[in-house]
Order: sequence, then structure tokens, then C-alpha cells
Amino acid sequence: MVGLITDWLERVNKQTKDSISNMPSWLQAKRQAALVQMQMLNEPTRRLESWRYADLGRLLKAPSAFDSTNYGQQLNVIEGSDPVVIVVDEAGYMGMGDCPDWLEIRSLVDMHAEDWYDATFDQETVVNLANSLLLQTGGLIRIKATDKPVHIQLVYAFDELDEWRYVRNQFDLEAGANVSITEQHQSGRINAVNVYDLDSRVQLNRVQDIHLNSAEQFVSMNYFEVSKGVNVTNMNHHIGGSLQHHVHWVNFNGEGSKYKSGSINKSFDNNQITDIVNVNHNHKNNQSDITHRSIAKDKSQIYNNAKAQVAIGADQSEIEQDLKNILLSSDARIYSKPELEVYADEVIAAHGSTIGALDDTALFYLQSRGVDIEQAREIMIKSFEQEAQIC
Amino acid sequence: MLKIDHVFANAGEKEILKGLSLEVKPGEVHAIMGPNGAGKSTLGNLLAGMPYVEPQGGSVEYMGQDLLSLEPEERAAVGVFLAFQYPVEIPGVNNMYFLRTALNAQRKYRGEEPMDSAQFLRMVKQKIKDMNMRDDLLKRPVNVGFSGGEKKRNEVFQMGVLEPKLAILDETDSGLDIDALKIVADGVNQLRSPDRSFIIITHYQRLLDYIEPDFVHVLADGKIVKSGDKNLALELEEQGYGWLNN
Ligand SMILES: Nc1ncnc2c1ncn2[C@@H]1O[C@H](COP(=O)(O)OP(=O)(O)O)[C@@H](O)[C@H]1O
Ligand SMILES: [Mg+2]
Repeated sequence: MVGLITDWLERVNKQTKDSISNMPSWLQAKRQAALVQMQMLNEPTRRLESWRYADLGRLLKAPSAFDSTNYGQQLNVIEGSDPVVIVVDEAGYMGMGDCPDWLEIRSLVDMHAEDWYDATFDQETVVNLANSLLLQTGGLIRIKATDKPVHIQLVYAFDELDEWRYVRNQFDLEAGANVSITEQHQSGRINAVNVYDLDSRVQLNRVQDIHLNSAEQFVSMNYFEVSKGVNVTNMNHHIGGSLQHHVHWVNFNGEGSKYKSGSINKSFDNNQITDIVNVNHNHKNNQSDITHRSIAKDKSQIYNNAKAQVAIGADQSEIEQDLKNILLSSDARIYSKPELEVYADEVIAAHGSTIGALDDTALFYLQSRGVDIEQAREIMIKSFEQEAQIC
Repeated sequence: MLKIDHVFANAGEKEILKGLSLEVKPGEVHAIMGPNGAGKSTLGNLLAGMPYVEPQGGSVEYMGQDLLSLEPEERAAVGVFLAFQYPVEIPGVNNMYFLRTALNAQRKYRGEEPMDSAQFLRMVKQKIKDMNMRDDLLKRPVNVGFSGGEKKRNEVFQMGVLEPKLAILDETDSGLDIDALKIVADGVNQLRSPDRSFIIITHYQRLLDYIEPDFVHVLADGKIVKSGDKNLALELEEQGYGWLNN
């Protein structure tokens, strides 16, 4: 028993009255509801589907080597109008420069109750429920349709990196919006919930780049509510970290949409990475295309999976799940088993998962041209990764 | 240049080369012919250092060095090149990057300065022209989506760029139409020089109409069983390999 729930409840008591009294009453009520739910749930364990191959204890222990000079990723704020930079810190959102008229930014405390996306959590997602319970910062980013595609960069900027930060980002993309969103993390310890509410004909190009040092941790739950005629590409880089845990929920709520995601997971030393994509084909004529390329070295482990559910009547659904994995050492572990649950009749589905080593013949081919074995391995890893590089 | 002396080698568990000897002097072109499964590719792979092929006895001396003690990349750097019978696809890595990495790795090993990308580009563009290859070759990922013939031509192009001292071509002519065959032969002939040698493994006599060999050898059951001049290739073309069984 790790004691995570006890820890979260203690944190609630420790949060200052000030930080909470700033919040609108409806938001305080949400936190209260999360508190009531949390008290009824059991301690998370490895029996939970998405935590089977991760050490939950790591969430509790303050990582030993927190050295702020040692961060893999430095903040890289691009000034000017393209992209528009939004910084999230302890206090909420801060736009850099003038806010263009296609963009509306509201920090958590300024959000309206009716804009709030009610994510429901349960025993399985109790670690994400902690986000609702301890929510500190984030808010709403609303984007309207524009003539030309627009680009937003969301940058995390927290002090005291050994503290857990509970962040919620809700992106409301209005009908016809065409936007690229790059989430850039200066991490530490983050528990994030990201909501992408995508109205009809939205074009979204999202990049999440999470490159952590060996002490950092990142837990994220990502919702994609997909209306009709929407096109999403979602590119994820998950590299390193004491623990990374990412779950993506995709709900097709209309017809004629496409969700395409690529993940590159790379672990070494003692890293643990979980990367799960769940796609719900609730309606007809939608496409999902999930590609993962994962590489584990040393004593690290990766659990990556894709699951698609096709509801009764959701005909003409097209599903592709392509998960490939490479183990670079005998102590590394990778688990992946794509799943399809199909209740519709006319569905095109292809899925596959492989775990292997780098191809010896290809390595020899490179060596025979003069490239040494180390560099040959690097080239073959690059070659392997790029299959998941979707944008 | 190359002296193979009573070499024995296994491919996997199987004994394939059984006391093979062959000497190649600078500037010579040797053709190696023989039935399927005789060990021709195994010989090429042994010389290039494929890990799957394990030497069991005998020696291979290359320009005064014990070739078999070198790593594959070291062999490349000292001038050994194998055009693969089945070239490997490397998705996401373009030919240009691949070749420059290879060339500069070889140069580094030899203590030479690396070639910068401008110099390199100039050099390969010239080679493309000289060797009658297509420009788009450079941008494409290594061998990905190439037809059989294109893969073989790409091997010859790599050989042209890397300028080896000993080139081994393993059935580079298989699956080529007559035009592609001429391009391949042209590539080889342009590289022929008094200090560069070739071992050309082939199934068919027709390549030797375009690349004139100094010697032709028949490899059967892991050994050279017959050697001669280019007329031997013509005889083989007429007689096949049935006589080997008698
Ligand atoms: N990678 C391999 N795995 C298993 N057997 C092999 C392998 N490479 C070669 N062999 C075996 O070695 C023998 C010689 O093959 P090879 O050298 O390719 O012949 P050739 O090129 O003359 O047709 C064949 O019996 C073949 O089956
Ligand atoms: Mg062969």
C-alpha cells in the first residue's frame, strides 16, 4: 500500500485558504465533489489496467536528485505573433503580447461554470481524479475559425520543480478553426488534464513534447471530443523521466472525422513510460490511425497500447493500430497488445504489434559501408522512430 | 591484394566454405560462377565481415593485413566493398545522408578530413551524371520503394561514391533488364583501374559480355573447382553445371 490517497488528502488540507477562496464557488464545488469521491475510492495499485507496468510508489517519493540546472528541456519562448505563446504558471495563464481576436484565454479562476468540461473519473483513473481535487492552475483557451492556420505554443513555467503541479488545460476549438498547438513542458512533477473540445470541421495539429530528466514525472489524461468533419493529428514524444503516464481518450461524437496519432516513446536508465490510446468509434464513418514506436534501453520499461471500441451501428469505421517496439538491452521491458472491440458489421481494421531488436542485417549493411556499430544503431533507431513521426 | 588460403567457414550451423583458395592481384577482375547454394554469397559475406558467417580455418590476407580480424566497418575503411545480393531498406534515412555518413566515417578512420555537405553534394552530383543514375536517387530513403533493378543500381552507385579498392558484386546483374545491365557494367568499367580489383559473382554469362573478366572460377560445394579465362564462362553457359556431378 503506497499511501497515495492519504497523501493527496493531506495536500488538500495544506493548500492555503487564499488559493482556494480565489476560486469561483462552482469550481470549489467541483473540488468538493472530487474530495467526496476520492474518500470513497481505494488506493491505486498495479491491478489498475493502465498502471500495470508502472511503480505507483514513485509518485509519492520525492525524487532524490532534483537539480534545476539539470533539466533536459529549457524553456524556449518564441517571441512575436507566430506562434502565440501562452505561459502557464502557478497563477494561471499569461499571454505574451497582444491577444489576437481569434483567441480567448481565461485562467481557471475566470472560467465560467458552463464552459467547464466535466471529466468523470473512477477507480481506474483515480490518479487523474487527484487533478480535480488539487487543481491549481490552467484554464480555458478558446480558438475561433480564421482565414489562415494559427499556431499556439503553451509553455509551462513553474518554480520549485520538486512540487507536484496540478494543471488543467481546456482547449475549445470552434467550428472551422485551423490550429497547431505545441505543448512545451518544463516539467518537474506535473499532473495534467488536457481537454480538446473540437467542433465541426476543426483542423488540429497537436504536438506534445515531453523530454524529462531521470527525476522528473509527468502524468497526463488527454480527452479529444471530436465532432463531425474534424481532422486531428497528434504527435507525442515521450522521452525519459522517472515516470511518465499518458492516457488519451478519443470520442468520435459525429461522422466523417479522422484522428491520427504518432507516439515515440524512448526510455533508458530506470525510466518508466506508459502511453495508452483509447478510441471510441461511437458513430459511423470515422477513421483512427495510431502508430507507436517505442525503444527501451538499460533497465527501463514501457507499456504502450492502443484500444479501439466500435459501437453497434458505427459502420464504415476504419481503424489502424501499428505498435512496434525495440528492446536494446536484456533488462529492458516493453508491453504492448493492441485491442479491438468491434460491435459494428462493416469495419476495416488492421492491427499489429511487434517486439524485437534492431535488425542485424541492416546493421551489417551500414557497417559494411564504413559506419561503426554504435552509429549504425543510432541510425537504425532514427529510422525506426520516424515511422511514428506523423507531422 | 587479396589472398584467400584454404578458407573454411560456416553460415549459421552449416559448413559452407570448405577449403577455398583464391588470389586476386591489383587491377584484376575475377568472375565467380556456380550453382545455387554453392557458397558464392557466403564467400562475399565472409570477406565483408557478416557476423552470421563464421570462419573456421584458413586465412584471408588483404593488402598485408589479416582481413578476418577486422570489424566490418574497418574493412570498408581499408577499401573492401560488397554490393549486396539483397540490398537492405532503411526507411527514413535518405541516400544522401547515408552515403555522406558512410564516406566520412571511412575518411575519419583513415585520418582524413570529413567532407562538408557542399563538397559532398558536388561530388555525388558529378557521380550521378557519370554513372547515368537518376537525380532523385539522393533524396529517397535508402532502397525503400526501389524496384529490384534500382536497388542493384544503387549498390553500384554507392560503390562509385565510396571508391573501394576491392569491390565484390554479389549477383548485381540478377533481375536487370539489358539497359540496367549496361548501366551497372558501365559503372564497374569506369572504376576499373590498375590498383582496383573486382570479384564479380554472377549466375549468367551475359554480364561478362560487358565486363570482361581476367579470370573465371567455378565455385561448387564450398571450393573453387575450376578456373580459366573468359571462355570458361561461355562453356558454362552452354553446358550448365551438370558435369559437376560426374
Ligand atoms: N542466412 C542464412 N541462413 C541459413 N542458411 C544460409 C544462410 N546463408 C546461407 N545459407 C546456406 O548456405 C548455403 C550457401 O548459400 P549461399 O552462399 O547463399 O549460396 P549461393 O550464393 O552460391 O547461392 C545454402 O545452402 C544456404 O541455404
Ligand atoms: Mg547468392
